Amino acid sequence: MPDLQKLYDAVLSGDRNTAVAVTQEAIATGGDPLELISKYMVPAMDEVGRLFECEEYFVPELLLSARAMKGSLELLRPLLAARGAQPVGRVVIGTVKGDLHDIGKNLVASLLEGGGFEVIDFGADVAPEKFIAAVQEKGANIVALSALLTVTMPAMRTTIDALKQAGVRERIKVMVGGAPVTEQFAAEIGADGYSDNASAAVTLARRLTATAVRP
Amino acid sequence: MTGKERILARLRGEPTDCLPLMPITMMFAGDLAGVEYKSYATDHRVLAESQLKVAERFGFDYISAISDPAREASDLGAAVEWFDNQPPAIIESQALLHEKQKLNGLALPDPHSPGRMQDRVRAVESLAEKAGRDLIVEGWVEGPCAMAADLRGLNTLMFDFADDAQFVEDLFDYAVRMEIAFARAQVEAGATLIGIGDAAASLVGPRLYNRFVLPYEKRLIAGIRAMGVLVRLHICGNTRRIVKGMGETGAEIIDLDYLTPLSEARAAMPEPQVLLGNIDPVRVLRDGTPESIEAALSECYAQAGRAYITGAGCEIPRGTPLENVEAIARFARERQ
Repeated sequence: MPDLQKLYDAVLSGDRNTAVAVTQEAIATGGDPLELISKYMVPAMDEVGRLFECEEYFVPELLLSARAMKGSLELLRPLLAARGAQPVGRVVIGTVKGDLHDIGKNLVASLLEGGGFEVIDFGADVAPEKFIAAVQEKGANIVALSALLTVTMPAMRTTIDALKQAGVRERIKVMVGGAPVTEQFAAEIGADGYSDNASAAVTLARRLTATAVRP
Repeated sequence: MTGKERILARLRGEPTDCLPLMPITMMFAGDLAGVEYKSYATDHRVLAESQLKVAERFGFDYISAISDPAREASDLGAAVEWFDNQPPAIIESQALLHEKQKLNGLALPDPHSPGRMQDRVRAVESLAEKAGRDLIVEGWVEGPCAMAADLRGLNTLMFDFADDAQFVEDLFDYAVRMEIAFARAQVEAGATLIGIGDAAASLVGPRLYNRFVLPYEKRLIAGIRAMGVLVRLHICGNTRRIVKGMGETGAEIIDLDYLTPLSEARAAMPEPQVLLGNIDPVRVLRDGTPESIEAALSECYAQAGRAYITGAGCEIPRGTPLENVEAIARFARERQ
């Protein structure tokens, strides 16, 4: 069994090659994939989120850590699936229709994934129908919407209304964020939660999941 | 004093009759003129008319050819998504420099050839012809980090800093050479100030900013100042950890977004550095009242001291009530 502290360090420092190598060695020597995730990767990404929030880490460092984590997760996921392990929650995330600015959404998606969530990332400029389909067909229990522009913020309301129309709003929690979005706006459009930074978005998702209906 | 005299006097540290007023307007100006934003961004005559209207209506001291970040990228052939009534956006999934090798041999675009850069040059020409005597006419270019992100894709560029430093340097060098030529065309068309937008620089933190971005911002700014015009540096987002570097760029006006308190900016950039800003465009300017706007601006002015120009942290948002924009104008006009 390799020294698993190296996995923690590799994720924290954004070293994908080392993260992948340690994971491969751990798997080969019978390491428990759930333990790798819960004891090393999730704490490492929590620390990345903390460093980001206190402005020790910035976007490049966060994305490098997320890339290291993903490299490792790709190896572990098939093993988890074979065991029937369930994620903390299933989040579908995207920027709303008309908004092509996705870096903030990518930070949130990475930290959610690092926090043990299964993340279905639809990318940018996502139509409400796609979010509805993710809830209906993939069992997402959180819908996370991002907008960078004031002119695309109304599409958050449109998306939430479409979720209601489709009859799936009660099954899920909706969280919103993005530079111009405010707590007040989130309440006005009927979102369940708002966060003004990526790290707090994970805390919010955990809180919402605790009260969400399981798929 | 004319608006132009007021801004120039403030930059020289001389007395002014009141505070200079330079808020950014784009969609707000288009809406006020009753035009769709697509036509604002594609037709220099529409942009110029809208800018003249908004400046006249509120007594702004300048007019600007800023519209969207996609002009240079469009002319280079990048994929851009167009909307009827909001700014065009570069499609990152089809980034022009998705393959890094494409930078080798990528020709610089000619701002005088038909295209979106030429349309901006014509907008400057039109603004200068109609109001250049009394108002500062601002041309606009992308900063090195923003331009690199426009061509490479913002997400990918964030990895490049760690994966391929030489490529980042080459890309920034290309961006600076392109923007100096673009700025020159706008100066020749009558711009008296060049604004530089370098939003992506607020994402990278002080280590990468000082190592990669600052040297190229300095080079761009020195190149533009050598043309005998003024420079305004605007970096959207949280710049608290890079303000010291911003103060070393040589830009006459440092235009700050609302996330950076002017007290911190002033501590990092002592007078006579002129600071511009920086009330929250959404929560204070659009959603506030004339009273709350005045209070927020008073705080900005108190923190910045006399080397100050009135403005919001970023573009005045679409849908801002007219009386709120009047409040920002009244604040400037009633103070020296």
